[in-house]
Amino acid sequence: MAFLEMRGIVKRYPGVLANDRVDLAVEAGEIHAVMGENGAGKSTLMGILYGLVQPDGGEIVIDGRPRPFRSPIDAIAAGLGMVHQAFKLFDSLTVWENVVYRAEPRRGPFIDRAAARRTVADLARRHGLPIDPDARVGALPVGVKQRIEILKALYRDARILILDEPTAVLTPGERDGLFQVMHGLAADGRTILFVTHKIHEVMAVTDRITVLRDGRVADHMVTAETDPQAIIRAMTGRNVSLKADRAPAQPGKPLLEVEGLTLAAPGKPTVDGVSFAVRAGEIVGIAGVAGNGQTELIEIVAGLRAADAGAIRVDGRDVTAAGVAGRRAAGIAYVPEDRAHTGTALRASATDTLSMGFHRRPPLSRRGVLDRAAMRDRARGLIARFGIKIPGEGTTVGTLSGGNLQKVVVARELDHQAPVLIAEQPTRGVDVGAIEFIHAQLVAERDKGRAVLLVSAELGEILALSDRVLVMYEGRVIAEVPGADATETSLGLLMAGVTGQAA
Amino acid sequence: MTAAASVLRGAATSSVLWAILGGLVIGALITLAAGHDPIAVYGEILAGAVVGPNLAETVARAVPLVGMTLVAAIPLRGGMVNLGGDGQLVLGGLVAAVVALYLPAPGEVRLVAAILAAMAVSGAYAALAAWGEVRFGVPLLISTLLLSYPAQGVSSYLARFPLRDPSTGMPETYRVEEAARLPVLVPGTPITWGLVLLLLVIAAVVFVDRRGTAGYELRLRGLNPRFVAYGGVDLGRQTIRTLFASGAVAGLVGAMLVLGDQFRFTDNALLSPAYTWSGLMAALLAMGEPIGAVCAGLFFAALQTGGFAMERATEVPRVLTLVLQAVIILLLAMRHGLRRR
Repeated sequence: MAFLEMRGIVKRYPGVLANDRVDLAVEAGEIHAVMGENGAGKSTLMGILYGLVQPDGGEIVIDGRPRPFRSPIDAIAAGLGMVHQAFKLFDSLTVWENVVYRAEPRRGPFIDRAAARRTVADLARRHGLPIDPDARVGALPVGVKQRIEILKALYRDARILILDEPTAVLTPGERDGLFQVMHGLAADGRTILFVTHKIHEVMAVTDRITVLRDGRVADHMVTAETDPQAIIRAMTGRNVSLKADRAPAQPGKPLLEVEGLTLAAPGKPTVDGVSFAVRAGEIVGIAGVAGNGQTELIEIVAGLRAADAGAIRVDGRDVTAAGVAGRRAAGIAYVPEDRAHTGTALRASATDTLSMGFHRRPPLSRRGVLDRAAMRDRARGLIARFGIKIPGEGTTVGTLSGGNLQKVVVARELDHQAPVLIAEQPTRGVDVGAIEFIHAQLVAERDKGRAVLLVSAELGEILALSDRVLVMYEGRVIAEVPGADATETSLGLLMAGVTGQAA
Repeated sequence: MTAAASVLRGAATSSVLWAILGGLVIGALITLAAGHDPIAVYGEILAGAVVGPNLAETVARAVPLVGMTLVAAIPLRGGMVNLGGDGQLVLGGLVAAVVALYLPAPGEVRLVAAILAAMAVSGAYAALAAWGEVRFGVPLLISTLLLSYPAQGVSSYLARFPLRDPSTGMPETYRVEEAARLPVLVPGTPITWGLVLLLLVIAAVVFVDRRGTAGYELRLRGLNPRFVAYGGVDLGRQTIRTLFASGAVAGLVGAMLVLGDQFRFTDNALLSPAYTWSGLMAALLAMGEPIGAVCAGLFFAALQTGGFAMERATEVPRVLTLVLQAVIILLLAMRHGLRRR
């Protein structure tokens, strides 16, 4: 029997069978990938394993003992650790304080600070996770924060580590470091569950793979005996090409021009004198590790944030002083990076969500009075045209999977037919089928003569779509590379701030 | 309406009903503990609220209470809170009294002008608090509440000194003459044309909420303000407009009380029934949804009117009805809190 077994796990949500008799078996010392499109049931399965979600059926057996987890506290006690996608750290506390939180070594009623610091430092050294135990967490880069999350689990002597999309926020270099740590932990006899979408990472680092599709196990695979196409087939039930087919760009006049945009911040500006232009009929990609000013830059261009200096022109018109509405009227459509917090209202219906931005003019309203029937008709039309899987236009969008929610946002923004389209992380956390669809839409927009500005932390996406690539590092555009000449290696170095040979 | 929305609506209503039921049970236990028969006490409240002339009393009380419910519910729909209802109410009453007393015009003109002026001044005063948030980042919760006190203070001063009617022993203005008062709607009852004005306001609020672009923007702001800003709504301007509407309704209530009930502005008279706070509770009970808020306001008005009758008929003080109100809101808040886990 395997070290960790989940047998016949069933979880029902209203209208959805999230997990349907899922089996998962992982040996001690194994790195095991859990793959699947969004909505396939990965998060539910991992949530059940970690005690966050209560299953409706099935059992969890660890080391031969059945283990019903009523809460993460039970799971942690049984030797589980989870590194969430969004870190759960206290920014104002130090590294060691974060690591020992709720399991502090004590001397009488007080925390034994010296012992705590020593333990954390030893642990970090032993597992090859270089870290300063006294650093304030808030000031640390994301790669280091992730190490703290791993240390938290190891400090509680986790034998089974769940890593939920751990590479989404890392540079290629940090990612390779993480893989080394994972190998070290596995050699130490620990079991790692690696939840991810990224097939090449699975190929590089895992021993075996469990693929979920529509809540069921689509396949159990041995990594050494499979290939990326087989994994994609298992995930989607069909063949998908990740390379977007497209003709060379035919750039026309500049539709979006940005000049010297600066956003001041204590110390170093977050956005530092950024200038570029996006012309009709081209896709310009902005590559960069998350947190290098891309988010702020796009918020400024979209009008959600005021710049301290610089100018923005849309189709030759200066919109620097305009608000969001003014810029949208001038011709900017915008797929924001955070669909749940910015791009939609999760508790609103699809009709209401799809109407936003169109609701002030005919046909959706006249003289301030909405035409609810027209709103529903339009929503139904977009749902059909973009293949959004939703029970009806009155359904609240918070019930949709990530890919479908993103399609709602993309459908609404493309419907503006605006000359400038900003797509920010358009496929983050989206399943392979939806990625293919969204990429094809972006290329189609380009071919219609729109200027597309693509921001992505996903190098594969930048490489597949961009006619030109701008690399952002610490608030500045440090390089511009023609799309044809860009490679993962050259961009990876630039994203880490290494210029000199290129650019 | 779609199936999902009606299911949601159903769940919300049922949790309100449970809260009311739970409140009544707790109220009954309190009554029992005090040595009274809860059935008799509730019977007195019910009779005192709806039987015979009491029904008219309830309606008369409901007009200002439901009005102040809307004052709270309008911003609450967009996730904003107006705690300055008292100040806006008093200002509206004072302005209405001054215009009705001193505007050189025929009575009916004075009446209309008094109401419009009260709405404009109170609306502007609430918008001032909103501007404080938009321009200076003073949270609305604080700016509305704190601006309430200068309004009360200034009104109190004006009623006590420059505008005072020296013939009464009270800190109050002269009496508004008959022609400039709100006419009685149902003879023999305290129900005035204020009821009609309130119904018009309710109709307008519900219409804008259901069918207006402004209502759509406000409702979605309540669900996710970032989304609305991303969609092109200027949140600052929306805050100011919403607070203006909210304050204007408070001004209308003040004007209705002065021109239809008290016929003069008396210091503190508008505030002692605490319409603002009952209205806020009613609006919270419905989470800002206008029709639900109006129903909750009616319910509270009935409870309070019934409380007076109960106090007369039994030895139980009418503060019991205020306890009931508070317990119901607490139970509802608990249910929402529990479900969020």
